[in-house]
Amino acid sequence: MNPGFQPWRQLLKQRAEVPEQPLPRRHRPDYWLAIIVISLLVIGLVVIYSIGTALGLANNVSSNYYIDRQMLAIGLSAIAFAIASSIPLEWWRRYYKLLLAAGALATLMAVLMPVNPQYPAHRWVRLGSLSFQSVELVTFAVVIWLAKFLADRMRKNQLSDTRKTLWPLIAALVILGVAIAGVQSDLGSIGVILAVMSVMIFVAGMPLKKIVMVTLLILVVGGLAISTTPYRRERLATFLHPTSNCLGNGYQSCQALIAVGSGGAVGLGLGRSVQAYGYLPESANDSIFAIYSEKFGFIGDLVLLGLFAALFTRIKKIAMQAPNNFTRLLAIGILAWLSTQALINIGAMIGLLPLKGITLPLISYGGTSILFIMLAIGILFQISRYTSYVALNRDLGGRQKEGNNDNHSDRRRLGRAYNTSPGGRS
Amino acid sequence: MLYLALMAVMAVFALRLFYVQIIRYGYYHAQALSDQQKEYEIPATRGIIEAHLGNSIVPIVLNQELYTLYADPTLIKDPAQDASNIAKVIGGSANTYKQLLLTKGTRYVILARQLTKSQSSQILGFKYPGIGTQGQDYRTYPDGSLASQTLGFVNASGQGEYGLEQALNTELSGTPGKLKAITDANGVPLAAVPGNIDRAPIPGDNIVTTLNMGIQAQMEQILQAEYKKTNSQGLSAIIMNPDNGQIDAMANYPTYNPANYSAVTNPMLFQNAAVDDPIEPGSTMKTLTTSAALNMGAIQPNESFYDPAHWVIDGFNITDIKQDGGARVQNIASILALSLNTGATWMLMQMSNPGGTTINGKGITAWHNYMVNHFRLGQLTGIQQGYESPGYVPPANLADPSIDLRYANTAFGQGVQITALQLATALSSVLNGGTYYQPTLVDETIKPDGTVVKFQPKVLERNVVKPNIGQELIPLMQNVVLAYLHGGFYFMNFPSNYLVGGKTGTAQVARPTGGYYSNIFNGTYIGFVGQKTPQYVIIVYNIKPNVPGYAGSLGGQPVFADLAHMLINEGYVTH
Repeated sequence: MNPGFQPWRQLLKQRAEVPEQPLPRRHRPDYWLAIIVISLLVIGLVVIYSIGTALGLANNVSSNYYIDRQMLAIGLSAIAFAIASSIPLEWWRRYYKLLLAAGALATLMAVLMPVNPQYPAHRWVRLGSLSFQSVELVTFAVVIWLAKFLADRMRKNQLSDTRKTLWPLIAALVILGVAIAGVQSDLGSIGVILAVMSVMIFVAGMPLKKIVMVTLLILVVGGLAISTTPYRRERLATFLHPTSNCLGNGYQSCQALIAVGSGGAVGLGLGRSVQAYGYLPESANDSIFAIYSEKFGFIGDLVLLGLFAALFTRIKKIAMQAPNNFTRLLAIGILAWLSTQALINIGAMIGLLPLKGITLPLISYGGTSILFIMLAIGILFQISRYTSYVALNRDLGGRQKEGNNDNHSDRRRLGRAYNTSPGGRS
Repeated sequence: MLYLALMAVMAVFALRLFYVQIIRYGYYHAQALSDQQKEYEIPATRGIIEAHLGNSIVPIVLNQELYTLYADPTLIKDPAQDASNIAKVIGGSANTYKQLLLTKGTRYVILARQLTKSQSSQILGFKYPGIGTQGQDYRTYPDGSLASQTLGFVNASGQGEYGLEQALNTELSGTPGKLKAITDANGVPLAAVPGNIDRAPIPGDNIVTTLNMGIQAQMEQILQAEYKKTNSQGLSAIIMNPDNGQIDAMANYPTYNPANYSAVTNPMLFQNAAVDDPIEPGSTMKTLTTSAALNMGAIQPNESFYDPAHWVIDGFNITDIKQDGGARVQNIASILALSLNTGATWMLMQMSNPGGTTINGKGITAWHNYMVNHFRLGQLTGIQQGYESPGYVPPANLADPSIDLRYANTAFGQGVQITALQLATALSSVLNGGTYYQPTLVDETIKPDGTVVKFQPKVLERNVVKPNIGQELIPLMQNVVLAYLHGGFYFMNFPSNYLVGGKTGTAQVARPTGGYYSNIFNGTYIGFVGQKTPQYVIIVYNIKPNVPGYAGSLGGQPVFADLAHMLINEGYVTH
């Protein structure tokens, strides 16, 4: 096994058998996390504001329509963040069923609702002028549930138990797959959920053999899904030859690349985006990275990628120093969620991945996405109040006393200097 | 490891961005421009056309902005509703519009044309995505079909066709403006970006024609009436000023309505036959033969000669259509009054050899020179009309064994092809003392800045004949009018204080297979009216009239009489 991913798995495993320790003393949260998140939100707002005229023209609304709604969404998200960052972390573990139920209900409503002719998919719950994308709630709920589920299995040392662990996970996959990929036809979102689940399960320490088995199964099912749905086949073909069909299915890919490329080194300037004026579809949502690139160029893109890298690094640090397995898995789940979305979105815009209809976290226009991401960031913020090297070391000490023949990581830890203080490596 | 993988992917993204944005910048920049930058031609307003009416100048061709309703089917959200509301505003079938809105594979379909401004703004008021209107100037004609063949029309792509519109297309259309700009996906220019070009169009010139709408209107009524009365296949007439070449009226019947040109099924109706349809004019040509012979000194105005009633030329008999004389002494006046073909042939003999009765190369060459260089037959007059025809004068090829017969025929207007305008202009040049003015329809050109350019008469030939030849020809032609009056053509009775002269022509019609029809004739008439001098030259071509007698006398002459009476009665004859 590649030693590179040992630190996280090892940390979790070491503490798997011991009862949860009480949380360490509450301390100053990670304000860097907040600063990076606010920077990203501001960038998103600036881009959406600057293409307001183009969006208004294209959709027959006032040029303030999008920026107003985005500000409203961010206002609501700030409240969500405030709540999530102040309520006890235990509550999430205790009330995860409520979230799952809400996610199921929202999905059901979205499926039953009449569709909007512009977006003919059963993905939105619409109440007047407000619309709510059910899958965002589902993703959030799945992360919470999985963190709790895996932490429980680890505590009971049942991670390798096929009946107790593997079957519930496969059942969850089937339900999510049918509802989201099948009924809602949202292959992008199911991809994100799959990535999140895989990362969390892998990090929790499930034997790799089982993960590979399940992954193969998913690949087969996914391959079937792609090959049987004509528009997905076309999308795949388009992905393989993005510029071969610029007037047909490749239109958005081609226009996105043109937007990115024509930005050049320093961009056209804030008010100078042309591609937003009807050339590039979804220029406020899925394609916002391309518009940003057109405006700010390579330099701007480096700044944005840097901000995302910084965000992911902060979250990783929080995960490494999280006080217990639940919060650690939660942080890792959130990291997987945000990073997968960012990679899929940007990758599609620069012609490296197929278009999947995935938004760019914190930047893209869209209230539901921002709301749940900010809820998750609030949780991370709260976790960051309880991070500790001491807790980590104390846990390790406890496990050593009890002794465990199965624990290969002990030998590794003793034999390999860099594993002695994994938290310090972040 | 996962974290490292994540960072590695982000590094790959950064590298990819470096490739796309830095290395391949030129390519994508060019791609963007080819999509975003559009060049537009901004059409210039076409000049209007005006004409004289009494002492004022009135428009006869105007512009009206009408709107084309188009749609981008890919942007249509609710075809059924859009179509039904469009039908409510502009009429038509909602289902037709709906089918158009559902057209696949195009981003531009035209739903309707020629909407009014209010219809256009009503539909734009719906704010349907993907539906728009485009203004376009259309020609309107306050006087309906008046002078239509002389004016021509403007086709759907803005080009003048036929008549003045074609001949003066450049002047009328002006210079289109140019707009080169970065636009949105619908082609609407975005705010000024460096490199945008915005050049305003320069409107076309306004043209004031020489046409006198009063004369023109009455002439068209006369043509219509005579067309029916003589049961002919087509009737053309011109009234022109012999002293400067200006056309006062020019019309043909049947005609068409230029506002509705697209409904015309027979394109022959578009033609201004008076300038683009040459025929063998018949005996009206004798006015020119006489003028040439007089000018050469080959004959004298009061000269007599023995007419044998037929000549044998190259083995063919030349006789007179009018068989009432028989062999006897005739004179120049009777050649014209009785329209003697033998007399016209005799004039050519005098050009060849004074006093003789044969045709030779000298006479043929001289007569050819007069037809082509003095009277400018066989070449374009250069009037501002589309599709003018040069007509045809047979070459003076002396090696041709039947050249004598060929040229004898031309002396009385057979075997040559001459348009009504060519004949009228040639006679004008004789009557005015020998100056060939280029015939013109343009009196003034008004530039976009308001400058008025008055049209100056253009002299194409200064010495057509000597100044006195016109004075000699006038009484000869007056005599023709009197002869017909005394012969029972009472409509040829004009007030004695007016100067009216003329000449009939009954022209044989060539068979396409060779030779001439024995029972089909064209009736032509050329004449003048004035007080002291000829103020108007009038020419009439009546194509294949169905009349009980000579086509010239009964098909051409009555039309001339109506026109001359009209000019006199309406007070147009002033000097």
